[in-house]
Amino acid sequence: MNPMDLVSRLVRSADDEAHEDADVRTDGGTATSERQGSGRGFLASNRNLVESLPFWLPPALLVGLFVYGAIGWNVLISLTDWEGLGSPEYGSLDLSMYAQLLGDDTFIIAFRNTLVLLIAFTVVSLAVGLVVAILVDQRIRFENTFRTVYLLPMSLSFVVTAIFWSWMYNFEIGMINQLLRLAGLDFLTQQWISDPQWKMAAIIFALMWQFSGYCMVVYLAGLRAIPTEQYEAARTDGASTLRMYWRIIVPQLRASTTSAAVVLMVFALKAFDFLYVLFGDTPGPSVDILSVMMFREAFSTTNWAYGSAIATVLFLMALSVIGPYLLTQYRRGDL
Amino acid sequence: MGDVKLENVTKRYEDVTAVDNMNIQIHDGEFVCLVGPSGCGKSTTMEMVAGLTMPTEGTVHIAGREVTNLPPKDRGVAMVFQNIALFPHMDVYDNISFGLRLRNFEKDEIDRRVDKAAEVVQLEGMLDRMPDEMSGGQRQRVAIARAIVRQPDVFLMDEPLANLDAKLRVHMRTELQRLHKDLETTVIYVTHDQAEAMTMSDRIAIIDGGQLQQIDPPLECYNQPANLFVAGFIGSPSMNFVEGEVTENGFTSEYMDVEFDPSNYGVSAGDKVTLGVRPEDIYPAESGRSISSPTGEIRTKTDVIEPMGDEIFIYLLLSEEVETDLEDPAASNQLLISVPPDSDVEEDQDMSVVLDRNKIHLFDTESGQAIEHSLVASPAASGASGTSGAESDD
Amino acid sequence: MATDAPAAPAEPSDDQADPTETRESDRGLGDQLRDVGPGRVALYAVLLALGAFYLAPLESGLLTAFKTQEAFFSTTPFAPPPIDGTTVAPWLSAFDTLSGGLVNSFILVVPATLISALLGSLAAYGLTNIDWRGQLVVLLLFVAGVFIPYQAVLVPLTRFWTMVGLNDLLAFWEPLASRADLVALIITHAAYGIPICTVLFRSFYSTIDGEMLEAARLDGASAATIYRRIILPLSGPIFAVTLIYQFTQIWNDLLFALVLLSSPENQVVTIALNKLKGSMVQQYNLQMAGAFIAALPTLLVYVLFGEQFAEGVAGET
Repeated sequence: MNPMDLVSRLVRSADDEAHEDADVRTDGGTATSERQGSGRGFLASNRNLVESLPFWLPPALLVGLFVYGAIGWNVLISLTDWEGLGSPEYGSLDLSMYAQLLGDDTFIIAFRNTLVLLIAFTVVSLAVGLVVAILVDQRIRFENTFRTVYLLPMSLSFVVTAIFWSWMYNFEIGMINQLLRLAGLDFLTQQWISDPQWKMAAIIFALMWQFSGYCMVVYLAGLRAIPTEQYEAARTDGASTLRMYWRIIVPQLRASTTSAAVVLMVFALKAFDFLYVLFGDTPGPSVDILSVMMFREAFSTTNWAYGSAIATVLFLMALSVIGPYLLTQYRRGDL
Repeated sequence: MGDVKLENVTKRYEDVTAVDNMNIQIHDGEFVCLVGPSGCGKSTTMEMVAGLTMPTEGTVHIAGREVTNLPPKDRGVAMVFQNIALFPHMDVYDNISFGLRLRNFEKDEIDRRVDKAAEVVQLEGMLDRMPDEMSGGQRQRVAIARAIVRQPDVFLMDEPLANLDAKLRVHMRTELQRLHKDLETTVIYVTHDQAEAMTMSDRIAIIDGGQLQQIDPPLECYNQPANLFVAGFIGSPSMNFVEGEVTENGFTSEYMDVEFDPSNYGVSAGDKVTLGVRPEDIYPAESGRSISSPTGEIRTKTDVIEPMGDEIFIYLLLSEEVETDLEDPAASNQLLISVPPDSDVEEDQDMSVVLDRNKIHLFDTESGQAIEHSLVASPAASGASGTSGAESDD
Repeated sequence: MATDAPAAPAEPSDDQADPTETRESDRGLGDQLRDVGPGRVALYAVLLALGAFYLAPLESGLLTAFKTQEAFFSTTPFAPPPIDGTTVAPWLSAFDTLSGGLVNSFILVVPATLISALLGSLAAYGLTNIDWRGQLVVLLLFVAGVFIPYQAVLVPLTRFWTMVGLNDLLAFWEPLASRADLVALIITHAAYGIPICTVLFRSFYSTIDGEMLEAARLDGASAATIYRRIILPLSGPIFAVTLIYQFTQIWNDLLFALVLLSSPENQVVTIALNKLKGSMVQQYNLQMAGAFIAALPTLLVYVLFGEQFAEGVAGET
């Protein structure tokens, strides 16, 4: 066979072929993961490690000291009996603080409140954020403006928003009650942040106001990652809008939901500023939560060891939320 | 002197062996393509030459010097990448001169070299452009100039044309050949595109499963493939394979027989062999009369017909029972043949064909190694000829 | 780690800006008008109502801040102040109370933001663009640091700074020694900001073409040269995101300031505002003016750089 024919034959078919996998690296997917994961052999890997040290080691030392060192130290302190003005005695360590926790009704109540806040706040914020994200995703005009407005509360300090909401919830002349009166719903007006019955709901509502914009951003990113073809396919199949979202779109937002939920739950565990500004360090049994109780025990009544024990409980709760999440991310290589 | 030598080079990642005991010798000024399917180890091989990956075992020599553990910058190699990999915040001049500036070359020398490199790749007058103001082809030229300017002993190119569109790719192919002719520098070129390999290289190294299958000039790889893998990989559409065994009278299989004298080819009755024949070496019986040594007629039935314009591909069924498997034209119960475009064929028609005995390949089914590349009686030399450089992979 | 990839910056991605906008602009005005059915009207009504919901506390607060004491008791909270009930006195008075805190907040926020962003950038580079065995484990520790409830470190933190005794360490220079609390707060915020900064930078750095960096290595560039000459010049957009995010976070923080700042002259604006709220219980106009003054820097940053802020908060996931 004539060599030129041969070549032209090869050229044609190979061009077709190359078109299909134009983006494929020579060695396919495996090469990429090899490149990142296991390094390039012992020597190169060591050389790279040495080269990389000056960059990440100083920040890692700071994080190691301030985050992990401090957490360990906190656990240590929680095992002492440290209180008052002196220094902690590391000589005799025991679990007495934790034993005390179990018998402390205030702790049990705060623990329960923390869980209620964590769950209710997360669910409500996610639900509102999802609805808002879907509405914003309807090819609307001025999308940027709407998005900016919805996310705006997120840029404010809790000190600021707590002041706004204490005004909003004012019984005589706060906006909430005034609007209810205007609508002729006087019987619904409440002492929102004084009445133990409504306090928690009022807090959750205000925090939802602040955080749902964040959920919207996360969900919007998730929605935009879904190919338009799926919407078109669902429509072609005659699915109603509601059905389409419920059956096809929302299930694909699981990753967004998970990551936003983790952030919200961790926030709920450490929520402090907002409550502290509204109520000081004693918000009362209906909204007393662990993070506030910890501050009160440690910094107001100088029961340092007891406060540390509460802090350890908070840390373990946070760990039980983020641990599984980060491990999954790590295993999937999404880190 | 840009010769490159890999000796017993192995690269293992945790549980994968990417490159397995590779031995390749590339001569100064040679253009060698590394080809193979995705994940075969060709990129890893090149990265070990570049110094971006360290071999687990074995040595790498460049220009007569052992470089196995040298960092990339000390190896006298320059690389052109698939993603083109220009620095987006630098103009063309800065991109091309980056390496020289790092090495503290004199300003005059840098200018002289950049101008020369820009001239070679025809980028004169574009030195102050930013990468995002250029077309894909121009960017690829900058990447090449960046490599040229270093005056390396060896150019390493990792699929440099893969991200270009088909037309530009063909054009750049000729440019690279011209460049290689001008510079006379050794080029190692990784591609999964066998057309690139066939058209550009002095020799092709075909790699599969981390092992070198054959390294020979393009036509030799095509005409005298060292084993079943090379035979199936080089050439498109692929070679037809029929598995069978040797009898006293030649080859027999469920669907077809070919007569020859086994003793001529160092095989004996009972050996399991695979017969290979390329689509263009099979002829309809009537036109087969024109060739010098046809086999006996083989009765088949036409199945799918694919007119390609300059030729027609016909899928022939060797047995009635099984449907054509378009996914695998080399399936043993069918033959793919190529006939001139003016041939008058229809589907589901009886057709007798003959094979060109000169172009029949025999492979040992078990080891995959080539036994013979022609069934025209020749001096009884066993083993395949012309595969001198190839590694046996047993 | 962003599972919702689009939230992370994908190179300079002007071309994939916003699918909705291109879709919209593809269609003629006539098409769009024809589409305006009752559904669309309802949609925009809901969107506007939502806007009102998110803005209501700010609107009510802003108007109240301009009302006299009598006026805000007698008017609806979301109505503009009556002519005879309009005053800027609350603003002046609030500014007076908060001005010291504002200055301190700037002294705190600027260095803490810069340090944490720079360290985050360095860490992300060393953990993303240089490959070495075990880097993912180190990275995991950084990422986990994002989610630590600060309560878990508060007691040791105060203990730590007491033991360090910055006051004495900085005694060589009186003006600095009296600011020791603030210095401790700067270092604290910088340190706790590193994890999120690292995560933000990493999401950007992992989109940088590895082959480009290999090309630089082949050209003889060291890790430091690559960082200085290539990574840093390309990091502009992500620095903007990180600086804006950190600025907002540190400015808004109350908890660390509460436990680390002891002397009144070092108090930051969130503390000052909280005190103002506590001492002026019934003066809502003053409280609202104070809240706006304290929020103004972050509001300004948000209005100017909303996109970057959104990228920052989304990067947390």
